[in-house]
Amino acid sequence: MQITFENVSYRYAVGTPFEKAALHGLSFTIPSGAYVGIIGQTGSGKSTMIQHLNGLIKPTEGSVQVGTWRISADTKVPAQMRKEVGLVFQYPEHQLFEETVAKDVSFGPLNFGATPEEALELGRTALDLVGLPFEEFKDRSPFQLSGGQMRRVAIAGVLAMQPKALVLDEPTAGLDPAGRREILDNIYQIHQERQLTTLLVTHSMEEAARYADLLLVMADGKVAMMGEPADVFAQSERLRELSLDVPASVDFLTKLNEQLPPDKQLPASLYREEEVLKALLQRLTQRREASL
Amino acid sequence: MNFLQNFAIGQYVPRDSFVHRLDPRSKLLFLLFFTLLVFWANNWFSYGLLLCFLFMVTAASRIPGVYLLRGLKPVWFMLVITVILHLLITKGGAVYVQWGWFSIEQAGVQQAIYMAFRLGALVTMGALLTLTTTPMDLTDGLERLLAPLKRFNVPVHELALMLSIAMRFIPTLLEETDKIIKAQKARGVDFETGPLIQRAKHMIPIVIPLFVGAFRRAEELALAMEARGYRGGEGRTRLRQLHLSWRDTLLAGIAILLGVLMGWWRE
Ligand SMILES: Nc1ncnc2c1ncn2[C@@H]1O[C@H](COP(=O)(O)OP(=O)(O)O)[C@@H](O)[C@H]1O
Ligand SMILES: [Mg+2]
Repeated sequence: MQITFENVSYRYAVGTPFEKAALHGLSFTIPSGAYVGIIGQTGSGKSTMIQHLNGLIKPTEGSVQVGTWRISADTKVPAQMRKEVGLVFQYPEHQLFEETVAKDVSFGPLNFGATPEEALELGRTALDLVGLPFEEFKDRSPFQLSGGQMRRVAIAGVLAMQPKALVLDEPTAGLDPAGRREILDNIYQIHQERQLTTLLVTHSMEEAARYADLLLVMADGKVAMMGEPADVFAQSERLRELSLDVPASVDFLTKLNEQLPPDKQLPASLYREEEVLKALLQRLTQRREASL
Repeated sequence: MNFLQNFAIGQYVPRDSFVHRLDPRSKLLFLLFFTLLVFWANNWFSYGLLLCFLFMVTAASRIPGVYLLRGLKPVWFMLVITVILHLLITKGGAVYVQWGWFSIEQAGVQQAIYMAFRLGALVTMGALLTLTTTPMDLTDGLERLLAPLKRFNVPVHELALMLSIAMRFIPTLLEETDKIIKAQKARGVDFETGPLIQRAKHMIPIVIPLFVGAFRRAEELALAMEARGYRGGEGRTRLRQLHLSWRDTLLAGIAILLGVLMGWWRE
């Protein structure tokens, strides 16, 4: 599902003393099937931007094209759009309300006209996808789960609608490092299996670096940078201007290269932790072999 | 549908104006006095005087009039009902419309206008108070004004604290409501169409998370207060002191002038 923003501006609370411009003329295109990391400081407009994707808010100016739908200020949002673009809000566990986990995850499909049996089946698949065995969890109250489990149930509630695009607003906020990694690995797997177009809003450069094919950097309601991770991370100066960091792996690589003679340097285009590690190991084994 | 945009009561609008800078105690007392005046007024002159005064206060507060009116939306309904009831029920004087048993008479029209004005003026003044005073100042002022009641074992401090916590959380809860509505819309709930029963049912996915959230917040707040050693009103000092200034003296003068004029003009 291709997503195109054309000169999108958005203002909150128009006509009140609290009026606030949140987005200023955003334009970009996200190709179908891409995994996009969206980064930017708090208040840079990330959450506002992603709410345009399923028509929760409509651009004050400009237009948004999502798949075949085109949304501008006075378009009526088709219900189907909410189904095709699954949006997981920040702290999604705050939206849980049913008595049992099974009921909560089938809520979405039911709203879109699935029969109770179909909805339950979709819920089962979705729960399994996020790593919560259906039989074990279906009858438990969502309010008695741990924070991480609640978050997974909430994400499953969106996955159960079988969206074609998945948008997640800081899905790892407030989780422990192991839980973060697990959820993101999970999402990545789903992204690949279902060939979704995925947008991940995150604070963490490491998270963005690990999964994304494309990075969209936002600042002050504008697109500050967009491109492949290697290209974005290569501009560490620009990132620092925006009060953002390069991932620890890139930082490490840069510092290491500074210490090495030019002909021995590792390729600066590496940025995923695993890649850097592999290159480093390779170099070390080569040296051992050479010295033997 | 956005609550945040239509809800003026309890929402402080930061500005630097004469009204903003008045001491909250003066504002509270003045509101009380104004209420008395509104009920004391009994002819076109006295109502006109109060209306002019209301416009002046609005201008002095630098709150956009449109915004003030929009914030009164929740009471429009009550206003309309009041007007209709008085038109239909109050009889006397010249008959304007006669249609079977149904009639609209002069006294009815007059009463309808008076009552609508009373209600509108009081709510507007009340809204102006909350729009120009931070919740903190408001409850501080209230606590100070009610302090003498402590002698009669009225838990003034506790009441003021409850009020200030409630007011502090109005915007938070509104924001939370907005977010929950959006989250459930993202899961396909259609709040805008469908039969009434259906729409009432759709309140459940909003109300339950809202309550859960409110309890969570309350617990967190209680814990945070205890962790900082909060024990209640006895011997507590204040970070911010209230001060009366020339503005408050001026307000007192205005109040007296208003009272005298009213006494003169009313019948
Ligand atoms: N409901 C709202 N009402 C008014 N202003 C808002 C609202 N939500 C966000 N904003 C403002 O819009 C700007 C962008 O916010 P947001 O999209 O939440 O940024 P981010 O998700 O990147 O932290 C901020 O300045 C914020 O204060
Ligand atoms: Mg955000």
